[in-house]
Amino acid sequence: MAMTGPRPILSFMQKHPRWSQLLTLGLFFLAWEIAARFFVDKMFLSPPSRVYGEIGRVFGTKGVPDALWLTLFELSIAFAISVVIGLVIGLSVGLGTFARRSFMPIILLLYGIPQITILPLFILYFGIGAPSKIAFGVTHGMFPIILTIVAGVQNLKPVLMTSARSMGASRWHILRYVIFPHMIPSFFAGLRLGMTGVLLGVLLAELYVSTAGIGHFTSMFTQSFDPTRLLGLISVLAVMAIALNEMVRRAETHFSRWKS
Amino acid sequence: MSMQNQTVDQVAVSIHGVAHHFGESGDAKHVKALQETTMDIYRGELLALIGPSGCGKSTLLNVIGGLLNPAQGHVDVCGKRVDGPMPHEIAYVFQENALFPWNTIIENIRLGMLFQGVAKSEHEDRAQQSLKAVGLMEFANHYPGQLSGGMRQRAALARALSLDTPVLLMDEPFGALDEQTRMVLGEDLSVLLSRTRKTIIFVTHSLGEAVFLADRVAVFSARPGRIKQVINVDEAHPRKPSFMTAEKFTRLRNELYDLLHDEIRKTVDLGSRGGGF
Repeated sequence: MAMTGPRPILSFMQKHPRWSQLLTLGLFFLAWEIAARFFVDKMFLSPPSRVYGEIGRVFGTKGVPDALWLTLFELSIAFAISVVIGLVIGLSVGLGTFARRSFMPIILLLYGIPQITILPLFILYFGIGAPSKIAFGVTHGMFPIILTIVAGVQNLKPVLMTSARSMGASRWHILRYVIFPHMIPSFFAGLRLGMTGVLLGVLLAELYVSTAGIGHFTSMFTQSFDPTRLLGLISVLAVMAIALNEMVRRAETHFSRWKS
Repeated sequence: MSMQNQTVDQVAVSIHGVAHHFGESGDAKHVKALQETTMDIYRGELLALIGPSGCGKSTLLNVIGGLLNPAQGHVDVCGKRVDGPMPHEIAYVFQENALFPWNTIIENIRLGMLFQGVAKSEHEDRAQQSLKAVGLMEFANHYPGQLSGGMRQRAALARALSLDTPVLLMDEPFGALDEQTRMVLGEDLSVLLSRTRKTIIFVTHSLGEAVFLADRVAVFSARPGRIKQVINVDEAHPRKPSFMTAEKFTRLRNELYDLLHDEIRKTVDLGSRGGGF
């Protein structure tokens, strides 16, 4: 019958989303492989099989392992600072009506500025070394964290505060047992967005000015028309980003058990 | 000892000329919520506050509980002037689900005791006892989101009971539940409360609930509210379901209905800016 066409495959994929994810990914790599082998200039694109096969060459490049460590170091510092600043500002702005009314518009305004335009200022203030990259990462990472925390604190049901107060909860009790657990889900959402922001900020700064770090090597590989190593380096970076993201997501699921 | 003194000893909650309004007078948003109210509530008594919506019964409850400072007058609870929450004297059960959704039922109960300052060594015993009292022992480790509305209110009641306060305030505790569930919870509450001998003040919209549970029912007039009349129910606790079909129950319920009807009509007509038909 005509019914035995693509129908069974479709229903199989609907039942097993994992498989359709893998299939999509497989098709993507296949298209890339074909395009790189037969249609695109070798100077601009390498097939994934070659990128994967020669990944060792990336690590073998002088300076790349150091660059990876340096970038990872800058990322961690920038992320840690973003989280602390995001928490402090997010909580104080989110919890106080006065603070929210005074500072929220300013925060939104600052967040709206395309920060790449003031990157030269960062270099002027912090030099061309790690500090300017960390600072640029922080300004990209802290805003999403601030905003999600403010939003998370806001939608707390007032009756929960009232009931805690009626049972004699101190300010610390309310912060520790009511506000913190309430904002955990949005806090983690903020962490993930903040992580993406920090990654963007640090790499942008590296691309522009630095003489070290992953950003430096991506621009070097591009300029020397070496897409194999460039894509290899980007893959390493992608794996790093996915691993970090996954760590935060695991923690998030663990702390949001009550929501299921 | 004179009779007078003995009566004073028996008073658990004393309301002295309490009046309240929201917003400044002259302001467009100014609302006179509660007219001067004076009343004594006796130890072990169950008082129901009933009236049209917006009549200030919840306002009065929040003033008694120290969650709201009245514009005028004051309240004494167990001989102490109310000036903010009194966790050792007063426990609350709110209309909305006020359990912390991120804590299990037993964690919620322990947290209440932690806030109130109960010694850690007593937490487990008291939590188990209060869970047993409301029949939720098997659900100790469930999250509130996994329970039905009726069970959540039982859990909230267990948390309030574990605080072991002489006074319990309930703001439409069964307001969000369906008729059948409220009936069963009402029966359970009557049994439970006759054992604990707490002083209880609860706000309700349900005439039947007021008559079934309360020793006295305070009927409020429409906004700005004041206590229009107090009705004695005079029936021993625990009350059996058969009380609900007794002639006395119907008579009292009708009496309440007559008292309330005009007030509710006033509120509704005011709301629609018209007058009857």
